[in-house]
Amino acid sequence: MFKNEELEINLGPQHPSTHGVLRVKLRLDGETVRHCYPVIGYLHRGVEKICENKTFFQGQVWTDRMDYVAAVSNNLGWAEAIEKLMGISVPRRAKYIRTLLTELNRISSHLLWLGTHAMDIGAMTVFLYAFREREEILDVFESFCGARLTTTAFRIGGLRDDVPPGFEAKVQAFLDRFLPCIDEYEDLLTENRIWKKRTIGVAPISAEECLAMGVTGPVLRAAGVPYDIRKAFPYAAYDEMQFEVPTRMEADTYARYLVRLEEMRQSHRIVQQCLDGMPEGAVMAKLPKILKSEVAEVYHPIEAPKGELGYYLVGEKGGLNPYRFHVRGPSFVNLQALPKMTEGKLLADVIAAIGTLDVVLGEVDR
Amino acid sequence: MSILSTLFPYDIYKGLKLTGRYFGRNFFSANRKKVRANLKHITVEYPEVPVHLAPRFRGRLQMLRDEQGEIKCICCLACERICPTQVITIEKDKKEGRKLPFPKRYTFEMERCIFCEFCVEACAYDSIILNHQFELAAYNREDFSHGTEGVFQNMFKPTPVGTFSVSADDDGNAPHY
Repeated sequence: MFKNEELEINLGPQHPSTHGVLRVKLRLDGETVRHCYPVIGYLHRGVEKICENKTFFQGQVWTDRMDYVAAVSNNLGWAEAIEKLMGISVPRRAKYIRTLLTELNRISSHLLWLGTHAMDIGAMTVFLYAFREREEILDVFESFCGARLTTTAFRIGGLRDDVPPGFEAKVQAFLDRFLPCIDEYEDLLTENRIWKKRTIGVAPISAEECLAMGVTGPVLRAAGVPYDIRKAFPYAAYDEMQFEVPTRMEADTYARYLVRLEEMRQSHRIVQQCLDGMPEGAVMAKLPKILKSEVAEVYHPIEAPKGELGYYLVGEKGGLNPYRFHVRGPSFVNLQALPKMTEGKLLADVIAAIGTLDVVLGEVDR
Repeated sequence: MSILSTLFPYDIYKGLKLTGRYFGRNFFSANRKKVRANLKHITVEYPEVPVHLAPRFRGRLQMLRDEQGEIKCICCLACERICPTQVITIEKDKKEGRKLPFPKRYTFEMERCIFCEFCVEACAYDSIILNHQFELAAYNREDFSHGTEGVFQNMFKPTPVGTFSVSADDDGNAPHY
């Protein structure tokens, strides 16, 4: 009757709080997690191999489908990696529009994270408020490129089209409305005692452990390391933008929540700067009719909403497609911090840990 | 947590004030008329009220005819070559009284299409577009194949599925795409 037996259970792959098809094998001692083992691969499509068999132009549609809540970020990385491989320089206006859309995408990704993470922990209301604003961002994407989720927004060498008429007014209307909305989320959560009890001190991971495992993005910044690729290795038009990299020292779920909220405010600032300083001119560079690569090897990191998203490309002489393509996905790398965060803690904290890592399984499995 | 905050839970009050404000606003301003979403009404009563689509919206592939009613496509195969999922198949043919090649068969397998609009971008003759149709469900797999000949002669107008749409008007007319 009083046997001290460890119980092994599965969390997922269909559990609603795993945000996709993530299966976590847990060995429990009562309520305490003794061992945590994430099982991935349920959504594996072989994106890297498919892209090696497609031309540089076609490959972009697969990057949409990796991190599907931040498709514009993925498009940006793909387009810029190939431009780096071929030595194409992009017009300044195209860079500004790219930066604008990518930052809007960061806001929308964080909003989705905020809504679902709060709902996992038990605050249902925030979801509705967060999705209200996300909807407007998706409308902006739809007016720019015709799709809301799988955007295929950019082209190698710039953009397909300039912004549609009324685009600036639409973005400005969103920006004017958005800052008070963040205060609304804060009203609902930041001081809330239930939220604080569920997040403060939950799923901690120190800066050393983050760096040892390659964890990047808001998780690393919440541990006190101000590493942001937008500052460290500027791409697109980020070298002309003024913004701050928010950091916290606590390294727990609450700190990550505050970091992400502050990032939304900074993204708002960047979008405003892009809109105000939008240069005139062409949006597409002069390109040869058929894109052929030289023998070269590039690694291009960008700061996706979840962390460092790197594209590694190897080109061969006269090749129409990449010889080798590899994605360093932030969700995939961040997910390996899950056992460190949860072992020795309570079972309910596993849900909070999965939410706070902000993993998208489409990108983990690729 | 101090005794003051226990006696007067300001954090709870703050959240309730926000939700109460929105509840009141929506409760007194909501009407049951068929209205488009605006800032006050976030949701649309979708099947009854048609949704607003941006002009660049990417829907189903559709072929165009010129003023004389001729198919504009001249079988350059640019769309077939650029399609990332190989959903377009074209068969070239000659036709009496037409100098340029004529697509004897233009097959579009919609069930695999990813709506990226690369084909439209590649077309130098503006002979295909992605229209604004998004209600593309069908009962049979054959209904997803579209072409220029045979029983599936529906490359030139929205899919017939649209006629079953719940957003049809009261007279049963299909929505206009």
